[in-house]
Amino acid sequence: MTMKEKIRDVLAALESRLSVKPDIALVLGSGLGGLADELEDAIRIPYTELPHFPAATVPGHAGRFVVGRLHSVPVIAMQGRYHYYEGYTLEQVTLPVRVMQALGAETVILTNAAGGVNETFQAGDLMVIRDHINWFHTNPLIGKNEDELGPRFPDMSEVYDRSLRALAKETAQALGISLKEGVYFGLSGPSYETPAEVRMIRKLGGDAVGMSTVPEAIAARHGGMKVLGFSCITNAWSGTGDQPLSHEEVIEMSERVKAHFTSLIKAIVKRMGE
Amino acid sequence: MSLLNQVRDAVDFIRTKTAIEPEIGLILGSGLGELADEIQNPTVLDYRDIPYFPVSTVPGHAGRLVLGELEGKKVVAMQGRFHYYEGYSMQQVTFPVRVMKMLGVKTLVVTNACGGINRHFKPGDLMLIQDHLNLTGTNPLIGPNEEAFGPRFPDMSEPYSKALQEVAVRSAEAVGVELQKGVYAGISGPSFMTPAELIMLRNLGADALGMSTVPEVIVANHMGMDVLGIACVTDMAIGEELEPLTHEQVMRVARETKPKFIKLVKRILHDME
Repeated sequence: MTMKEKIRDVLAALESRLSVKPDIALVLGSGLGGLADELEDAIRIPYTELPHFPAATVPGHAGRFVVGRLHSVPVIAMQGRYHYYEGYTLEQVTLPVRVMQALGAETVILTNAAGGVNETFQAGDLMVIRDHINWFHTNPLIGKNEDELGPRFPDMSEVYDRSLRALAKETAQALGISLKEGVYFGLSGPSYETPAEVRMIRKLGGDAVGMSTVPEAIAARHGGMKVLGFSCITNAWSGTGDQPLSHEEVIEMSERVKAHFTSLIKAIVKRMGE
Repeated sequence: MSLLNQVRDAVDFIRTKTAIEPEIGLILGSGLGELADEIQNPTVLDYRDIPYFPVSTVPGHAGRLVLGELEGKKVVAMQGRFHYYEGYSMQQVTFPVRVMKMLGVKTLVVTNACGGINRHFKPGDLMLIQDHLNLTGTNPLIGPNEEAFGPRFPDMSEPYSKALQEVAVRSAEAVGVELQKGVYAGISGPSFMTPAELIMLRNLGADALGMSTVPEVIVANHMGMDVLGIACVTDMAIGEELEPLTHEQVMRVARETKPKFIKLVKRILHDME
């Protein structure tokens, strides 16, 4: 079965339940899913009710679409996402982004919790993603290309839209929120990085490291969507023998920056709707 | 059948063969398998007889699990290991580590033969592994997490126990063996690296490279074990000065280094708490 056919199946199950056509897609990372609860006239659709969507396996990832309005802009949010480390194929990981595009979203805002690798970053910082490094050792577009979805060799010269990044920075400044900018280094996980790997990532040009976002960004660009990305820096890696890190600490730190994160995304969506 | 139940079956089988409850696990790399012959009151099990154990295919790797006593410690030793390049899944490669943990092992001693990237090394050196780079292109923990084994996102801030590293340094001094220290880059192989790749690895912070150890150590950390790693530098892998290399050369240096390697590992076992 082709990806196109899978998308068609999902749309058939989804479209009749929606009252709005979303303009903007939001992928909400670990601990950041709360933003979806602020949508007005929200319709919630668990992934498990959709064909070709497997069940999510990680605590803290709810696993559903929330469709509604944010500052009267129609949006579709993913509360919970699929990760490669869970054992899904990258085709499964990126199917939801394809679906949201097929529903009409022309822009996707990808968010994640990430470890800070740049030595000037601190836990609690927000970073707008300027670019990424794909260190998954695979690519969601491997296989026969479906020309209806996008080109065989998608351009990656500007994955994260320059004008949207400028908008994000202006908006953050207007709200008095400090916003870093940097390169997201995406890898499979699920084990966290060793100190030697942190130093390696720094040498390779990564500012933040995480286990998501890159496959979705590649699929979104393949389909021609505009992409904006944010990392919530949940811990700062020193690379010299750090304190042990647990998933609970990551969630706790994203909870702490949630207020800033939520107000920033809401304000950006509002300005994008103007 | 779930991985957990496979591990339990293997553990149950081993317990029908021996009453020994090992505290220390040993993974004996290329050329070091002989150390297992020194284990006292041994119970020797062929991998092919243990449920769900893969079978080793590399020349020089015997493929036996030996349980018994060494230097007064209760140990379980792998004489021969599984490599990703042989075509096993990462779950198969690391299966014995999970079995060791569920047999009661708290400390894992991993040994291997490696190529030296650090210019201060020379063939025949032993290197204490301080840290690693997972450059195998995958991770043994990809897939649904088994909470009975460990957390979804295991911490890797101290993959090789600092306390055990201190023990190894003292033991090396006690037996007069020079011990290098460094970062081990784990690659899949089986092709050796090109000069350009070796230069890249050095730039990424690697002091040595090899085709094992990293998956086993990730899984050991997942299961909450303390790990000690010692590598035998069998050849120099300096990108700018690379000469053709054969497995036979590697085996020869491993063989020549064996006496001091065995002496050191035995002393470390003796000195462990």
